[in-house]
Amino acid sequence: MNGPASLLVVLAVFAVTACATPRGAPGALSDVRPAQRPTLDSDEAGLWMQMDRVEQGLRTSGHLVTDTAVRTYLRDILCKLATDYCPDIRLYVVQTPHFNASMAPNGVMQVWTGLLLRADNEAQLAYVLGHELGHYLRRHSVQRWRDVRTKTNVTAVFTVLTAAAGHGYIGSLAQLVALGSIMQFSRDNEREADEIGFELMVRAGYDPREASKVWESLDKERRAGKDSDPLIFFATHPPTDERIDTLKELARKTYTPDRDWTDGRQAYLKAVRPLRATLLRDELRLRDFARTQVLLARLVAAEPASGQLHFFQGELYRLRNDDGDPARALESYERALATGGAPPETNRAAGLLLMRRGEKDRARAAFDRYLTEAPDAEDKSMIHAYLEQLR
Amino acid sequence: MNPRHWIWLLSLIVVLSGCAQSTALLRDKSWQRQPGTVRVVIMPPDVQLSELTAGGLLEPKADWTERAREHVASALEKHLQTKGATVVTYEPPASGGEDDSADVQLVKLHDAVGGAILVHKYLPVLALPTKGDRFDWTLGAGVKQLQARTGADYAVFVFFRDSYASAGRVALIVGAAILGVGVQGGQQVGFASLVDLRTGDIVWFNRLFNPAGDLRTAEPAGNAVQSLLVQMPL
Repeated sequence: MNGPASLLVVLAVFAVTACATPRGAPGALSDVRPAQRPTLDSDEAGLWMQMDRVEQGLRTSGHLVTDTAVRTYLRDILCKLATDYCPDIRLYVVQTPHFNASMAPNGVMQVWTGLLLRADNEAQLAYVLGHELGHYLRRHSVQRWRDVRTKTNVTAVFTVLTAAAGHGYIGSLAQLVALGSIMQFSRDNEREADEIGFELMVRAGYDPREASKVWESLDKERRAGKDSDPLIFFATHPPTDERIDTLKELARKTYTPDRDWTDGRQAYLKAVRPLRATLLRDELRLRDFARTQVLLARLVAAEPASGQLHFFQGELYRLRNDDGDPARALESYERALATGGAPPETNRAAGLLLMRRGEKDRARAAFDRYLTEAPDAEDKSMIHAYLEQLR
Repeated sequence: MNPRHWIWLLSLIVVLSGCAQSTALLRDKSWQRQPGTVRVVIMPPDVQLSELTAGGLLEPKADWTERAREHVASALEKHLQTKGATVVTYEPPASGGEDDSADVQLVKLHDAVGGAILVHKYLPVLALPTKGDRFDWTLGAGVKQLQARTGADYAVFVFFRDSYASAGRVALIVGAAILGVGVQGGQQVGFASLVDLRTGDIVWFNRLFNPAGDLRTAEPAGNAVQSLLVQMPL
């Protein structure tokens, strides 16, 4: 594949997953209506067809979360926000440890479990779902497709003309400018989706001050993590600081203490807690320890009495295994056991660390507790063998 | 594989393999049709038509695709009937059921296996050293549920991607040609397999490349199917 061709493939891929003409501007695309389908001979129908194909694969994907309780919970929040559009949206919860949600033009919404691990409460989740609904309502995918089409058409003509004149490099420059301007277009879409997400959450009665917190927490993690900043020129999302400021400003104007706002934290925890051990295990598999440390610190600060969270902090240290980490891991496991609610594996993990240190009595006690708590553990023969060694 | 990558991959294969005519592959060179009735089920053809914009993007076209799917399916049925096969009409199982997804997976699997055959059998530079001259690709035992449900002996799987230059692209091609710059137009690529439903083995495979084909209308679509299946030993 040559340079321009691969560039165009990249553009096409960007264009199909959401993301402007300002609302109400002349020539702007009208919002989608409930139960509306594009006419078969339109470019929009082509995008729908493409995404229907993707959905077919998604429906049978092994990465879908099948837990009905959490799916129903998310569906209910979505319908509260989407009201009349609720039947047009199909929600898929995908088990992958990154913060993301996406919206396709045909009504396929994906929520990744990394988001469920990170949102503090239902209000934050509702804001993100509302943001995605904004892409759907404003038909950002087709807007973006048309924009990319126009810009690549112009660039192609320009490239041919400059190539014919023997100045091919000017054509390449034009392609770069077009790419930047396409990304710009999507930043406008993201701003608009932010606004709609905010409006929808407020209409549903969620505390407007929660919206900006989503990006704040995410930004802290991003700064700590492996992913460095993309070039702002190519960033498809507006700079985070700007989004945070805009949302804070909106919240300042909207929030009034007399109204009965909710953050829905209790309902959220009830729905997400059963999944949390799995989600944290997935998160640790990324081995982006600096990022996960920021995340865990935030979760522990909100729930200091959760033995489960202390256990996963221990797991982080054990897996990272830098200088002093085994000691930190043991400390976390012990805190987890003292707090209560720690999984049985905590005793096993502590036992292994103690055994390695040569603290035979304490190791034996930990393994004994593990077998008492999990008498049918798959690895019980192994643990018995360790106990023999420690005798 | 992302469908968008297909066209590029297939064009690459065509370019590298020198625009050869359709040459079919047989699992067993002496393979012949069994005497008696042969029941063949035609799987839903995986077809997608796009318009090539002046800028070189492939814009998927829902109306063309729907028409092309019908043309291809009916041409397949006609062709197999003239060959004397008993065509079993494909009925999708109850929607949302497990069989439904199994059939979808089979079509996707055929896309993937067919893509591998194109790359490793038609491109000499990418020939797999351990395969040698053998042609022993298979869709595996997963086809048995299809055999049980339809009672067919064989299944035909067909894959087509077809693109047409938009008016703007045509103008660009003409204008660029005058200026001495080459710009690519639309093209048609496809492949088909005959699969033994007792084993899942691909007993016969063929591919097609045609820069001037047209699946949007019945007659040229019939011709495309004809030239793809002409050597099929049924």
